[in-house]
Amino acid sequence: MLNVVGKNIRRVDAVAKVTGEPIFVADITLPNMLHAKVLRAGVPHARILSIDAGEAEKMPGVVKVATGGEKPLYFGACIIDQPVVAYDKVRHAGDPVAVVIADTVLHASEALKKIKVKYEELPYVLDPIEAMKDDAPLIHDKVQDYWYIPSCIFPVPDTNIFHHYKLRKGDREKGFKEADVTVESDFESPLINHAALEPHGAIARFDANMETLEMWASQQGPFILRDVVGRMFGMETSRIRVHSPMLGGGFGGKSDIAMEPIVAWAASFVPGYAVKLILTRQEVMTSTLLGRGMKGRMKLGAKKDGTLTGLEAEMYFASGPYGDTGVFVYTVGGHNCSGPYEIPNCHVDAYGVYTNNPPVGAFRGYGHPEGEMMVSRLLYQLAKKLDMPLEDLMKKNFLAPGRVNSVGQVMNQDMGDLPGCLDIARNAIYSEDLPREDDEYFYGRGFAAMFKSPKHAANASSTCEIHINNDGCAFVNLSGIEMGQGVYTVFTQMAAEVLQLPFEKVRVSDKVDTQHNPWEWMTVASLQTYRGGRAIQSAGSRILALGRTNACLVWHCEPESVSYENGVYTHINTGRTLSLGQLARGFMTDNAVTIGEPLQAVGWYRVADVEDPDPDTGMGNVASSWTFGAQACSLRVSKKTGKIDILHFASAFDIGKAINPMLVKGQVCGGVVQGIGGTLMEKVVFKDGAVRNTNFPGYRIPKFEDMPLKQSVFILETPNNLGPWSAKPVAEHPIVVVAPVIMNAVADATGIEFTSIPLTPDVVLSALNDTSSISTGC
Amino acid sequence: MQILEMVVNGAKRAMILEEGRVMLSDALRDGLGLTGTKVGCGAGQCGSCVVVMNGEAVTSCTTLASKAQGAEIVTIEGLARGGELHPIQEAFIEANAIQCGFCTPGLVMALYALFCKNPAPDDVILKKELNKHLCRCTGYEVIWDAAVLAREKMNGTRKACSE
Repeated sequence: MLNVVGKNIRRVDAVAKVTGEPIFVADITLPNMLHAKVLRAGVPHARILSIDAGEAEKMPGVVKVATGGEKPLYFGACIIDQPVVAYDKVRHAGDPVAVVIADTVLHASEALKKIKVKYEELPYVLDPIEAMKDDAPLIHDKVQDYWYIPSCIFPVPDTNIFHHYKLRKGDREKGFKEADVTVESDFESPLINHAALEPHGAIARFDANMETLEMWASQQGPFILRDVVGRMFGMETSRIRVHSPMLGGGFGGKSDIAMEPIVAWAASFVPGYAVKLILTRQEVMTSTLLGRGMKGRMKLGAKKDGTLTGLEAEMYFASGPYGDTGVFVYTVGGHNCSGPYEIPNCHVDAYGVYTNNPPVGAFRGYGHPEGEMMVSRLLYQLAKKLDMPLEDLMKKNFLAPGRVNSVGQVMNQDMGDLPGCLDIARNAIYSEDLPREDDEYFYGRGFAAMFKSPKHAANASSTCEIHINNDGCAFVNLSGIEMGQGVYTVFTQMAAEVLQLPFEKVRVSDKVDTQHNPWEWMTVASLQTYRGGRAIQSAGSRILALGRTNACLVWHCEPESVSYENGVYTHINTGRTLSLGQLARGFMTDNAVTIGEPLQAVGWYRVADVEDPDPDTGMGNVASSWTFGAQACSLRVSKKTGKIDILHFASAFDIGKAINPMLVKGQVCGGVVQGIGGTLMEKVVFKDGAVRNTNFPGYRIPKFEDMPLKQSVFILETPNNLGPWSAKPVAEHPIVVVAPVIMNAVADATGIEFTSIPLTPDVVLSALNDTSSISTGC
Repeated sequence: MQILEMVVNGAKRAMILEEGRVMLSDALRDGLGLTGTKVGCGAGQCGSCVVVMNGEAVTSCTTLASKAQGAEIVTIEGLARGGELHPIQEAFIEANAIQCGFCTPGLVMALYALFCKNPAPDDVILKKELNKHLCRCTGYEVIWDAAVLAREKMNGTRKACSE
């Protein structure tokens, strides 16, 4: 019987967020604070011949103009290939070349205009397949000479390929020899921007002796930032303190280290001063990180009865000029492109390729949407070829207990009920009448199934400290980042549940400060509830054991003779009671002698037994949990304009347990609409190698008018041995197959087999007018 | 040196305006420390920075601070009175229309301006207002629920509007 977990409890930050109270990084002002502005290259690939900052330095309010050559430093976590500020070459149009530090933002902006840079422009390349050719401009001379993690990153020397991930499961030839039918297509998933409403920002301050560095940053991974900056300056991390305040959305865009090192670097020129930099929306678009950006090809083979026999795929990622942030997206994108299906023979090559667009990093879904779009679309086509209902074909090949996934892991009951998800999502859409084609619209329905496993460092862990106070309430200290998902609220719920305290008696630390909050890997991969919850359970059970020990010391009894319920220990034989509060500092007897230990404990949880994929096969125990689900939709396509309207979008995920169903629904509904954005409208476009759509609405994200007429969310709760109270990751999953669900529905409506996104009205309209693109499917 | 004087959330405030293109959002945030007003795009496109100026919703990131000379401004900090939330704020909480909270102040203020002019707007007017805002987290359905609930709570009166 659960008291708090599973309940729709109101967000703990709700009142603050409707009254303007939460502190985001842009809201912080420090004493002795200066402001930075960054000069961006403006050209996609060029050698820097000279920088003249003389005039800028004389501008009002200017304290320092710093150029890359004054302190040429590199940073990174996995591949160290990125200069903090460019000094010899610029490799994308948003690369920083100089930083002005001044008393006000306006003064810094004015001075920026006075810096003169001479470039020798070089040929540039944006297409990842072009960038792999022998005659392509080489963006880094020797990729192999950079430091990188050798066990899981595989650069191809003297090329633009900084990572080549290979999946070799079974025997490709055998797989396609056994096939009676094959389907194959090229696919494209464009570069997109996270467009979190809060722009990235950071503040950095070295003390006057340059012995300590303090930072404030809109970061999903403050501890990683600390480590990266420490390595960059050669500073012990114990001298670096990073604060992560409230985040105005992340979606992966604030999980990689991108703009923060520039601020720390700038601050190193003015020790004793705090230096603040809040990016403009234009800089967010051109100079932080983008997502996706894949060109790919996939081929599937199947027997007449629908049994899948082989998968072959290449995925080329336009990763921008720095590989640090995208590299593992491509590993996961590669090995999970097979979707939630058992395919005995898989041969996949995923390439992370240097290109001259802004660098690419994590984006909600982390490699899964790219690959699962391909497999989901091809299954649709395969079903037609086999003249078999798609749902039957999918179910025949679904991963299931005892079946083996692409990396060789045997599935068990913990995976949940995937066929159930498919039935429920489909039923929501297919039990409704679909209007017949009329003069204005085509109508169609589609569906797809998905899975996602988190990608994380093998040592990724969460830590939780719990302190019980004299009045019996609990203070719970973790380092999860609140970026909208509601992590403070679910942490509070889980701590209240394990301690058997009312929700109101538990307070979870808000904001993160690496000096006072315990170690946490980072808030990514939809894992914070899962991993943090297990850490809370661990700390909570230690607290209760300590309290029991204290009670036994007071009552001179054995642990078995003491029971615990709702904050109170009871001596079973005598009925005497002691509350958590009475035992909080140890127990104080009548004459003030205190016995026992204070009720404070540290618990932790690390993802279990995860390893890097084998370098030769790309297989291995790469994930410790998977969340499965399915989605379906109905839509209409305007014959006149090509515009697609989503009528009803249904999602079903088996997440084991919803700690707070209302917040889960928030993740699903928001994720679906973000996926609709990526499918119907979002694309970063370039002019002369530089991002052209640098603000809203040029970069169009869903508005109110774009939401589906109706959304349905179904949460399945199959118990498992993985998450806290069975809770599994769900934050990214709603976005993973939104594109193929819509594309399948468009094919159903119009007969057009789209293989790239976004399906903007003009793209759809020109396809509607081009009768050759319509396949009847007969 | 220009002195900017405004009545903000009912109090007379004055500040020195820096030379150059200082926006109302900067004046409120940096000059008066009212950081509840958020700047998401700097171009009046996302609606996070909406405040109420002389009864009208304005995007404060595209409004020159000098244009607010003598104006009456209401910001998100000015809605709750004595610890009691405004009905619109209550509606956002009750409808679970909050995630990261960055777009929330602008949405609340835009609805405040709308309801104070027209306490019972029809769905078309309400949708038109919401369509001026961007939210990247929620998918909007809950924001619609909040707006409708807020309209109910206003109950066709202007009683929750500042004088």
